[in-house]
Amino acid sequence: MQPNKLLKPGLYSAASHDQAGAIVRLKGGRCRCGYVFFPMQTYGCERCGSHGDALTPCELSAKGTLLAEATVHLHADKNRPAPFTIVKVALDDGPVIRTLLAEDSAPVAPGQRVSGRLAAIGQNESGETVLDLRFSIAS
Amino acid sequence: MTRSLNELRPVYVVGIGWHRYQNPSETPYVELGLTAIRAALADARIEWPAVESTYVATALLGMASGRPMLRHLGATGAPLMHVENASASGSTAFRHACIEVASGISDVALAIGVDKRNPVRRPDTGIGNLAEDAIVPFTHFALLTNEYAVRHNASTEDIARVAVKNHRNGAKNPNAQRQQERTLDEVLGGKKVSGSLTSLQCTPIGEGAAAVIVASEDGIRRLGIDAGRAIRTTASVGRSERVYPPGAGFDAALTKETADLALAQAKLTPKDLDIIELHDAFTVEELHYIESIGLCPEGHGVRMLKDGALDIGGQCAINPSGGLIAMGHPIGPTGIGQIGEIVMQLRGEAGPRQHGGARIGLAHMVGVGAVCYVHILQR
Repeated sequence: MQPNKLLKPGLYSAASHDQAGAIVRLKGGRCRCGYVFFPMQTYGCERCGSHGDALTPCELSAKGTLLAEATVHLHADKNRPAPFTIVKVALDDGPVIRTLLAEDSAPVAPGQRVSGRLAAIGQNESGETVLDLRFSIAS
Repeated sequence: MTRSLNELRPVYVVGIGWHRYQNPSETPYVELGLTAIRAALADARIEWPAVESTYVATALLGMASGRPMLRHLGATGAPLMHVENASASGSTAFRHACIEVASGISDVALAIGVDKRNPVRRPDTGIGNLAEDAIVPFTHFALLTNEYAVRHNASTEDIARVAVKNHRNGAKNPNAQRQQERTLDEVLGGKKVSGSLTSLQCTPIGEGAAAVIVASEDGIRRLGIDAGRAIRTTASVGRSERVYPPGAGFDAALTKETADLALAQAKLTPKDLDIIELHDAFTVEELHYIESIGLCPEGHGVRMLKDGALDIGGQCAINPSGGLIAMGHPIGPTGIGQIGEIVMQLRGEAGPRQHGGARIGLAHMVGVGAVCYVHILQR
């Protein structure tokens, strides 16, 4: 099953599929100095300041270790009704990201292995299913 | 050759003033700011024309908001600069007022912070993000709370005790937005915000103003200012975030390097500090920062808190003003109000919240972005 529409195609892609759905790859970058970052950008390296050819895109695995979680009880943005849970994840490939826990995920705690998948979050005006990245306990 | 503040000529805080921090009201910012400035002038016993330069700290008011305020003091033509540096706007304004006087360019300078609550606009960098629209400051600090609790085996109650202490201090501060003591049950039982944070563990964003006047020894003599009430700034350091190892707490790492530089500049160790006013916008921050400043090893903050070592009258009074949690955090004024509180304490004029025998105080602020400022004041 092909994803109909990715919410943020600049940040991730559907790499392959298994029974549980699309396995996601994150669109990161690597500097000539060795620094790996997410998301890919061409402005310049945060560590050494190199830019231009020094920065190249690289795919990052959406697997990592949970550093922290927080369930948000109050949030002013009506497009993002609470409660929802934010997770901070140290990716195996280096960068630390902060993103959303899947709504159907079991509760998580620091130290656990987690992985990201594309989850259906609704439909757009053309009737396509919109997919976004969500993390849950690694299967 | 680079130099630190204490290698230039000495600079002293000679006047302090506030407009109380309060819930959003109809009071115009001009009235908030003028109240604080006139109080600081009266405290120093000088007149407005003696002020040779003004630094206005605001984050939420809009462009060049100082001029429509200062003109009502009598437009002297003295230079005026507006400073925006997120939560550290006031600390940054104070630093630059000190540098101007220490350098010899002026003998008397004013740092005034004033703000009213307004929507915060964040710039668009053009770089995408996964869920930053879902992560407001209290969620960032809820994540840090979760990490701290797990790493150091601290309970939700342990961390919430920071709020109990700071509300107790704020209850004795007429300039504080929150002036009510709170029990641990009240703190824990309040509205849940994010993670284990409840509303009484988060700073209330309101409005207010704080002003300090700094002067050189020449200025003090020339204007007949009471040198016995002047408090010297012995260190001033500003830093910004670097790239830290993956997963490191950048707020704490940045505070550590900034505080270390300030303590070295003043030739002091953390044990010498009698008072610290620090950025406790959320309870866990106070524990992080006392550990980063070096008051105790990492993870030992809760023990100091429970032992009363951080109380007024304890080993080192942390946030005797009530801190951001109780005194409030109107943004522009906050860093300047911290300086005022320390000056009041070092003069021995803090009344019912006086920390006895206070001689050395440290002020610390971080700002989104992330910047960090640390100042040390000594009697």
